[in-house]
Amino acid sequence: MRRPTKSCPFCETRVRFIDYKDDRTLGRFITDHGKILPSRLSGTCARHQRQLATAVKRARYLAIIPYIKGHTA
Amino acid sequence: MRSLRDRMLIYVQFPATFKPQLHPPPVAGSPWEAVSFKTTGRLADMPRQYEAVYIFDSTLEDAAINEKLTRYHGMLSASGEVKVDHWGRRQLAYTIGPRETGYYVVARFDAEPTVLPEYERALKLDDGVVRYLVTLHEHEVGAPPMSEEEMVAARRRDDDDEDEE
Repeated sequence: MRRPTKSCPFCETRVRFIDYKDDRTLGRFITDHGKILPSRLSGTCARHQRQLATAVKRARYLAIIPYIKGHTA
Repeated sequence: MRSLRDRMLIYVQFPATFKPQLHPPPVAGSPWEAVSFKTTGRLADMPRQYEAVYIFDSTLEDAAINEKLTRYHGMLSASGEVKVDHWGRRQLAYTIGPRETGYYVVARFDAEPTVLPEYERALKLDDGVVRYLVTLHEHEVGAPPMSEEEMVAARRRDDDDEDEE
């Protein structure tokens, strides 16, 4: 059984470089706990998934998005 | 796939002072000495476009922040002007020490890589800077950004390519 192919949301909107400062876009690609959503679920192509991972990690460092969500120490 | 190749071409202009070198340098007497050149993959002597994000302590006065920014950007000896975008005070996604808010500033500049270590050292030593991040600014290289009509035309051309296959 082949999984139906999903199209990359970044390719569809012709995004060339993913911006790490754009918290609203990055917010769509992290889970409720703040993990990076796998491309299996989001349909992101390999190239954009790599860019996304870098962008999320940069945004986390700059406290634009949290490392862990829904967890109070 | 003519259109795809055209889009992938990247034009690099070397300054007159730039001397490409074999990396690692060839052993004397080896046939590789005759090879013209191969870049190391790092164009170390060229100015590059960087983007810096600073998070200042939100208790600082706006005037103090501007004063710091001019001081840091003066260290860069940047060719061309420094584009500064003040995001202002903003909630941090998590607490950094006692701080819950920070003053965000995004700056974009062209600078030689050699001036960066000193600039970053100054940022590290400053207690008013909570965090900073300097990255290479990623943008379209070569061609100027396409206008809306060109985008539509390019898309139509792409669609034609797909039909041929």
